[in-house]
Amino acid sequence: MPENLLTRRDFLKLGGGTAAAAAAAQFIPPRATQAARIIASRDPHGDGYVPTTCEMCVWRCGVRARVSEDRVVKLEGNPEHPHSKGRLCARGQSGLMNTYDPDRVLTPLVRVGKRGEGLFRKASWDEALDITAKNMLKIKEKYGPEAMVFSTTHCLSQTQFENLLYGFGSPNYGTQRSLCFNAMIVANSMTFGMEEPARDYSQVQYILLTGRNLMEAISTSETSDLTDAIARGVKVVYLDPRFTKTASKAAEWCAIRPGTDLAFHLALINVIISEGRYNHEFVANYTVGFESLAEAVTAYTPEWAASITGVEAEVIRRVALEFSDAGPYALAHNGWRTSNFINSFATERAIAILNTLVGNWGVTMFPAAGEEGGALGKPPQPPYPRISALRLDGVPWKFPFVPLKLGIFQQLRDGILEGQPYQARGWFIARQNPILSLPDRQRSLEAFGKMDFIAVMDIFLNDSAWFADVVLPEASYLERYDPVITVGNRIWLRQPVIEPQGDVRSALWIYKALGERLGLGDYFQYEDEEDYIRQQIAPLGISFEELKLRGYAEMPESEPEIHRWPTPSGKIEIYSSTLEAGKFDPIPKWQEPPQPKPGMFYLLTGKVGQHTQFGTQNNLLLHKYEDVPRLWMNPVAAQTLGLQDWDLVEATSEVGSVKVQLKMTEAIRPDCVYMAPGYGHLSKGLRTAYGVGASSSVLHATTVDPISGGQALTQTFVSVKKA
Amino acid sequence: MAHKPHYAFVIDVARCIDCRACQVACSVENQVPLEHTRIWVQDLGLLGEFPALKRSFVPYNCMHCEKPPCTEVCVAAATYKDPATGLVLVDQEACIGCGFCVDACPYNARYLDQRRGVVDKCNACQQRLERGQQPACVATCLGGSRLFGDLNDPTSAAAQALKNAKSIVRLDYEVNGHDTGPNIFYINLPEEAAQSGFLYMPTDDRQPLVSQPGELPREPQYSLAEVGWKKVLAPLLFAGIGASFFVQAVFFTKQLIEGEKEFEE
Repeated sequence: MPENLLTRRDFLKLGGGTAAAAAAAQFIPPRATQAARIIASRDPHGDGYVPTTCEMCVWRCGVRARVSEDRVVKLEGNPEHPHSKGRLCARGQSGLMNTYDPDRVLTPLVRVGKRGEGLFRKASWDEALDITAKNMLKIKEKYGPEAMVFSTTHCLSQTQFENLLYGFGSPNYGTQRSLCFNAMIVANSMTFGMEEPARDYSQVQYILLTGRNLMEAISTSETSDLTDAIARGVKVVYLDPRFTKTASKAAEWCAIRPGTDLAFHLALINVIISEGRYNHEFVANYTVGFESLAEAVTAYTPEWAASITGVEAEVIRRVALEFSDAGPYALAHNGWRTSNFINSFATERAIAILNTLVGNWGVTMFPAAGEEGGALGKPPQPPYPRISALRLDGVPWKFPFVPLKLGIFQQLRDGILEGQPYQARGWFIARQNPILSLPDRQRSLEAFGKMDFIAVMDIFLNDSAWFADVVLPEASYLERYDPVITVGNRIWLRQPVIEPQGDVRSALWIYKALGERLGLGDYFQYEDEEDYIRQQIAPLGISFEELKLRGYAEMPESEPEIHRWPTPSGKIEIYSSTLEAGKFDPIPKWQEPPQPKPGMFYLLTGKVGQHTQFGTQNNLLLHKYEDVPRLWMNPVAAQTLGLQDWDLVEATSEVGSVKVQLKMTEAIRPDCVYMAPGYGHLSKGLRTAYGVGASSSVLHATTVDPISGGQALTQTFVSVKKA
Repeated sequence: MAHKPHYAFVIDVARCIDCRACQVACSVENQVPLEHTRIWVQDLGLLGEFPALKRSFVPYNCMHCEKPPCTEVCVAAATYKDPATGLVLVDQEACIGCGFCVDACPYNARYLDQRRGVVDKCNACQQRLERGQQPACVATCLGGSRLFGDLNDPTSAAAQALKNAKSIVRLDYEVNGHDTGPNIFYINLPEEAAQSGFLYMPTDDRQPLVSQPGELPREPQYSLAEVGWKKVLAPLLFAGIGASFFVQAVFFTKQLIEGEKEFEE
C-alpha cells in the first residue's frame, strides 16, 4: 500500500492529534467566552451547565449539558423546554457518546481506493472543499446545474442547505420525508391546510392510535403525555399487527391485518354518521363536503370492515361509540411514519375526517405552530436563479400534490438510475445515509455508480460516506451552533458546549465555505455562526449573550386564531376539490392493497426505543442497551416452517435477501414478520454497528404513492427459510 | 427529635415503558463500564397467547435493604448501610474486590469491576443528591415510573405516590429466616405482573415474600435466632479459614493506598 494511503483504522489513530491548530479558526467561539458561560452556571462540584438543543432525533428536546474541565460529562433534559420537560430518552442521554465516538471522522477525507474499499487520505479543509467545488462546477459546466443532486435530512440548517442547491441552480432536492410521513403531511394539508396539527393531551379522554408506537418511536414529551394520560385512566385503543410496548400499555390492542387501517376508520365514520353521533354544530359551521361523505361511507359497515381487517364488527362498533361518546375529548392520532401502503394517504385522510366529525379542534387538536417563526430575521440574499430543468423525482410534473420541500426520495434515486429526463452526475449528501435509508439498497448502490462525484457531510463514515469521494466532517450537535428554532412563544438555541473534536466544522461554516468556492457567496452573507444568529434575532431586540446563557428567549406573544384553516374553502375539507381536480378520490374510498401470496409474509418495520433511523447504531451506549436485532415471527408460522428461536434464517423478497436470526414471539400476527430498521451497516468505518443485524432496506421494494409520493414500506412480502 | 430520613425508590410499574433512558443515564452519570450495568429493566415476558397478550416491565437496582445481606459478608467493612440516609453504599477505597457481597445479594444488584478491582452498584447517585438533584434514572424517566425520596417526608413525591398507590409490592426476600427489607416499593402493578413473572428475579431461585396488593408491606422482622448459615456462619468460616490472607490483604491494600498518598504528597 502506498505510503500516503490510510485505512480507516490508521486514520483513527491520527484523528485526535490534528485538533488544536486548525480548530482555532474564526468559527469556533473563543474559549474565554465559553468558559465564562460555564463559570456562571457552576454547581458546588465545580461543573458548569450549558443549555442547548438535542439532535438525536428531530423532536429537538431542550438539553442542559454538564461540562467538567472542557468535557461534557452528562446531558439532562431542560425542565423549561416543552419538548423535554426535564427528561431525555435513551438516545438523548447517550448523545455525548456520539461526540466522543472513537469512530468519529475528525478531518476531511479524500478517497484514494476504489469506491467502497474504504481507503481515504486526510486532507485539509481547503483541499477537500476545493476538490468538491471543482467537481461540482465541472458537472455544472458540462451537463448543467440540474445534473447535481442534493439531499439532506430535516435539520436546523436546512435553509442554508437550500441556498446551496437552489443557488447552484439544481431542482433536485432529496429529503427523507417520502420514506417517512408524506402520506400524513399531504393528507393533513388537503384536509386542514396545514402539515400536522398540534395535539394536546391535557383534556383528552379517549385516544385511538393507528400504528403510532409512542412508547418505542419516542417523542419525549408526547410519550410522557401519553403515559400520564393512561395513568389517569384515559382509554387507549391501539391498532398494530405487532404487540409493541405501546400495545402493552393500551387498554385495547387490535391486531389488525396490515394495510386495512383505512377500512377500520371508514367503518368508524360509517357508524358515527349513520347513528347521528357526529358533532352537528361543528360539522355545519366548519367543514365542507359532509353530505358527500355520508353518501360515500354507507357501504362501509363494521361487518364489512370486520371481513377485511380481522377485527370483530362489534369491537369496531363499540370503538366508534366510545370515540364519539368522548366527542371533542377524543383524539385519533395521525401517526408519524405513515409510509406503509399505497392506501396510506386515504387512511390519513380518514383519520383527519374522524377527528373532524367529533369536533375535537381546539380541545385535543390545535393549529400547527411554525418552526421558523415569522418574526425572525435572516441574512440578506439575492433571488435564486431561474431553474427550468424538471426534477428527477417527478415533482410536480408527475406528482402535482407533493410539496417541493418534501419530494419523493425513492423516485429521485430511480430517476438517477433511469437517466430520465436527463442523467445526474453528482450528489452532495448532508447528514443523511441514503444507501441504508432508501428501499432496495442494491439500486441505491447502482445509483451511486452513476455518479462522477459524491460528497458526504456527516460526523461518521456512514454507509453513504463509505462510498463517497470526499467526506466533510461536521461538528457534532454538542460542538456547534445551528440557526435558532421557534417552539411556542420562545426561540431556542443550539450552541457548542465543548470545543470541537479534531478538525471538524459546523454545517453553517461548511455551506458558506463551499458556497463561496462555487461563486454563491451572496447566499451566505454572515461572518460566522454567531453572526448568522445575530441577524436572526435582530428584529426581536434580544441580547445574544442572554440567549446563550438561558438557551432561549421570549418571542412576542401571538394569539393564533383557532378556527381558521388555510384551505381553498377556508374550512376543513372533508371533500377535497383539490384532489378532485387532480383526478383523485375527493372522499377517501376503500382501496385493497396487495397481499402476500400463500407462504409469504408482510414485512413490517418500526422503530425501537434506543435508536433513530440509521444514524445511532454505532453509539456504544445505545448498543449496550439495545436488543439483538432479529426477525420476529409468530410461533405458529415458525412451526409450519420448522424454524426454532435463534435460528439463522434467510428472508427473501422480490428485490433481495438477507440472513438474520429468528425471534419467535407471540407478539406478531402469524402472517407478518418484523425487522427493526437501521441495522446491517456496510461501512467498516462504523466499528460498533458493522456486522450487527441485517438491513431491511435490502428487502424493501420501491413503491410510490401517486398522490403523496410516500414509499409503501409494508408493501414488501418475504419468504423465510432456514439459512 | 431530629428528622430521620427514610430514602427509598418507589416504582410505578404501570408507567414503565422499557425505553431504557434510565439505564443509559445511569451509565453516563456513574461511568459504568460498557460490559456492566447498575440498573435493570426486567421484561416479564409475554403472558398469554396471540392475540390475548399482556406484558410488564419492572425496573430495579440495588434495593438499599433495611437488613442488607451484602454488608454482613463484607470482610473489608467496605460495604455499609449509611446511618444518616439508610442508603447501602460501597467505600471503593476500602473494597478489596473479593466479590462475596456480589454473591450474597439476592437481587444480583452488584457487579465486580475487574479493571478497578472493586465492587460497584447503585448508590442512588449520591453525587447528584448532594447537588439537590434526583438520581439520574429518576430525573429522566419518561414514563414517570421511577421515583426516589424520603418516605418520612409526607410531601415527597415518593411518599405521595406510595400513599395514593392502588397496590404496593416489595420484593421481600427471606434470606436464612429473615427479611431483607428492600427499599424499592413497587406500586400499581398490573394484575398479571403481580401474579406471575414478577416473582422471578433473574437467575435466582429464592422466593420473595410479596405483600398482598393494597396492603402496606409489613416491617421486616429480625431476630438472631432467625439468622442462618449464610449470614453468620459463612462470614465466620471465611474469616476463620482465610483470616491471615484477608487481614494481610486488607493491610496491604491500606498500605498501598496510604503509601500512594504519601508518595503523592
